[in-house]
Amino acid sequence: MSSTRWIFPNPLRSLPRLNQRVGRRIRSYAFKRQGKDGDVTTLKPGRIYILPTGVGFIFALMTFVMLLGSMNYNNNLSFVLTFLLISVGLISMHQCQRNMVGLELGFAGTEPVFSGQKAQFRIAVGNRSKTTRFRIRLTSDSGSSPVFDVPPGESRVMTLPVPTETRGWVSLDRFGVHTLFPFEMFRAWAWMHMDIRGLVYPKPAEHAPEPPASQAALGHRQHDARGEEDFAGFRKFHPGDSPRNVAWKAYARNDQLLSKQFAGADMSSQWFDFDDVPALDVEERLSILTRWIIDADRTLEDYGLKLPGLEIPPSHGEAHRHACLEALALYGIDNEAA
Amino acid sequence: MKRPRGTDGSLLHSLPWSVAALAVSFAPHIPFVPVWITIIMFASAAWRYAIERRRANLPHPVMRAILALACFLGVFFTYDTISGVGPGSALLAVMAAMKFLETRRRRDQFVLLFIAIFLTMSALLREQYLWSLPFLIASLLLILTAWLRMSADDSAGIRQSAATGSRLLLYAAPVAIAMWIFFPRIATPFWSVPIDTGSAISGLDDRMSPGDISSMSLSNAVAFRVYFDDEPPPQKDLYWRGLVLSDFSGRTWSARDWDNGIGDPPDEQLAVYGEPYYYQVTMEPTRQQWLFALDMPYHWELNNSFMGRQQQLVSEHPVDQRIAYEVVSFPQYRADVDLRPMWRTRYESLPSGSNPRTVALAEEMYSQSENELAYIRSVLRKFSEESFFYTLKPPALGRNPVDQFLFDTRQGFCEHYASAFAVMMRAAGIPSRVVLGYQGGEINPRGDYMIVRQADAHAWTEVWLEGLGWRRFDPTAAVAPERVDSGRAGAMFDGLGEAWGMSAPSEFVYDLSLTWDSINAKWNEWVLGYGPENQERFMEWLGMDDPNWRKMMFTLIGLVAAIVFLLSLLMIWRNLPPRRDAASRLYRRFVRRTGLEPKTGETPEAFATRAANDGGLDANAVAAVTSAYLAVRYGPADDEGLAALESAVSAVRR
Repeated sequence: MSSTRWIFPNPLRSLPRLNQRVGRRIRSYAFKRQGKDGDVTTLKPGRIYILPTGVGFIFALMTFVMLLGSMNYNNNLSFVLTFLLISVGLISMHQCQRNMVGLELGFAGTEPVFSGQKAQFRIAVGNRSKTTRFRIRLTSDSGSSPVFDVPPGESRVMTLPVPTETRGWVSLDRFGVHTLFPFEMFRAWAWMHMDIRGLVYPKPAEHAPEPPASQAALGHRQHDARGEEDFAGFRKFHPGDSPRNVAWKAYARNDQLLSKQFAGADMSSQWFDFDDVPALDVEERLSILTRWIIDADRTLEDYGLKLPGLEIPPSHGEAHRHACLEALALYGIDNEAA
Repeated sequence: MKRPRGTDGSLLHSLPWSVAALAVSFAPHIPFVPVWITIIMFASAAWRYAIERRRANLPHPVMRAILALACFLGVFFTYDTISGVGPGSALLAVMAAMKFLETRRRRDQFVLLFIAIFLTMSALLREQYLWSLPFLIASLLLILTAWLRMSADDSAGIRQSAATGSRLLLYAAPVAIAMWIFFPRIATPFWSVPIDTGSAISGLDDRMSPGDISSMSLSNAVAFRVYFDDEPPPQKDLYWRGLVLSDFSGRTWSARDWDNGIGDPPDEQLAVYGEPYYYQVTMEPTRQQWLFALDMPYHWELNNSFMGRQQQLVSEHPVDQRIAYEVVSFPQYRADVDLRPMWRTRYESLPSGSNPRTVALAEEMYSQSENELAYIRSVLRKFSEESFFYTLKPPALGRNPVDQFLFDTRQGFCEHYASAFAVMMRAAGIPSRVVLGYQGGEINPRGDYMIVRQADAHAWTEVWLEGLGWRRFDPTAAVAPERVDSGRAGAMFDGLGEAWGMSAPSEFVYDLSLTWDSINAKWNEWVLGYGPENQERFMEWLGMDDPNWRKMMFTLIGLVAAIVFLLSLLMIWRNLPPRRDAASRLYRRFVRRTGLEPKTGETPEAFATRAANDGGLDANAVAAVTSAYLAVRYGPADDEGLAALESAVSAVRR
């Protein structure tokens, strides 16, 4: 956009403060008018806004000059050219808005991230009509998707990054759908206010103290009398896992390296207790616990988590890791309010 | 500030189309601009494309600046000015060439496309032919396609961009036509800028030197077309007056600037009698000031024009564009009956010593005549009875050309006879002058109008007689009466078919050319000539009483809004999702009756429970709808099932 801006300054943009204020007004007006959107929302004509761009203003000026020229020379073919251009401008205004009408926008989920990372919100843009929607772009306050086309009957999933600072929930309060199609003379856009949020784990402490000693000795788990190891489940392969334990059959099936987990003699289980963490600050303690869990998850150890009012028994695996980290993320946060 | 100069091949998909748009819009200018401009433009485009192919750097800014300066100076020295259509389009072409070399990002091509639009417009200002309309549409289509290419996906094919471009242009067409018809036309220009239409215009010279040119061209080009309100005059009355030459140097006839100044109003210069002819002339551009009208024009309607001092019609500005004007002419008239003695002497003067044999002959013949009229008749009789020949390829004449013509060669065309006759008159002391214009014209039966061609150019004489004023005498008619009586249309096309090696009768070719001309005439009249008068007539025909610009503007805005609204509906209809199937529509009707909205992911059963509990509907009816819907949805979707669903839905009542 920047190169266009210096060639064709948009008068609407040349007053940045006014522009910002107007932009805020439109956004809050849009929110008041539309309210919260459902998880899948179809764009209706009434909520699509449209304004000329710098190119549009230059184009208008050019056609005006051409009209004066045609009038001066009373040149009827030059009138034809001028009026065709003016009409193309008018039509492109409508086409620009129509290009977005009927698009289906839906939340397609997000992966949990650690605080400080960017949460990637996936937004699905669906087109159920018979015509391609061209040159659509999604924007959030902190970034935007590339420009894309949505062919008829298909949908495209784009991600919008949102920076996170604290653990808990991060929400994408608002995002925009934009288009400059067809001639970049007009920008049409709509503001979406969906109730969508993603989980933010606490930020893992960089310099965590050693976790408390393993509690295997306490006889939490017993040796099997026959000395055989019981198959206990799968988890993602981590470097260092014995190749003997890799589930090759599963790999052949789904291309994913999994390690078999056994409940056996080598397994020790460990409890991470909020009250035992050698730190004073709550956030610091959560941060240290996060680090411990991440590290423990990389080993073959079982681990459990004790938080005031919550206890997750020792286990392992992706789901377990997520349960523990989620508990840490939401510790002390009112689930409903988020 | 240093801007990067590298390229990354991202323009490969769009640059060729911008170049094509510029090439097409520039094509009509090529014959008019200096060759070096065409070369620079295409060389620069090719160079830029090669840079993009090799991912090389753009030329250094200093080099670009030097090139740009050189080009601008080149244009300035070629034209000595930068205003006007000629230098303007040369400048646009140079700007495009320079812009190629600094276009780095896709969107920089906007400037190129805007230049292409202006080049298209200036091509239309230069000339408007029948093919100008297809040209402008092709040019616009390419520009719009190139415009879409700028932002299109790399994977998107050219067919897609071209299809979108033509679809939008097609939508724009009805809107543009409405604007074109109703946009109020005004008569007078705001300012005058010269239009460089080249020198390829044939017309009349503003001087006449019989003997200089050794042949006269028979150009078939149209000089003007005439629409008569009633029956056209007979051929022998078709003298289209142009300019009048009153000064004779012994060899050359010419006019003074003063002659072409504003003369007295027509009713003071002329006394008219009898039935007039009412007609309209549509004149091709001549780049001269003369307007053509039948002898003798009395009323005419054209802005910035006047009657000169010798009853000729003059336009204040050279006629650069096709113009139309209405004229009332009286075939019976008396012109300048009270010629002042001062002017009489001017019209009687001959340079002393030139053409002595002619002067001697004139004096002798005059002394043998009873009066002036008898003398004139005897001179005309001399032309018709002695062996004078009418030829379009007479021998060149040396010193004293009139002497040589009258006594030696005796071959010539209208100019020779007119000049010799006028000199004979002056030598006898009778005021005379030469009139240049056109004689004749052929009726085009396809359009019921008269075509007057360059080949109809003619010269004749006017003689001033006491009490009668200026009278027209055409000595050529005395020599070659068929030249005046029949016109030359029949002779023109004879043998044309054979010349092209065709066995088809030449009549067919002639017919074709007349049809083509009538299409051109219609085009000129209704498209190019749609000015204030035509517009007013058309508005009245449409039923608008007392048309004025305000009414037209209101109609325009209303019509444009209506058409755009309809097109907008069309666009939304194109973008609608396909109609739901019958089962979905019926179920949707049921949902509306419950007054509830299904949640995302809620199954029909779950919704049914909710509808029965919260909606306060009859649980049985709801269950019937749900089971019927599920049966149609997941079982065979036959008419029976749909009928069951429909009756179940209509059974649900609040």
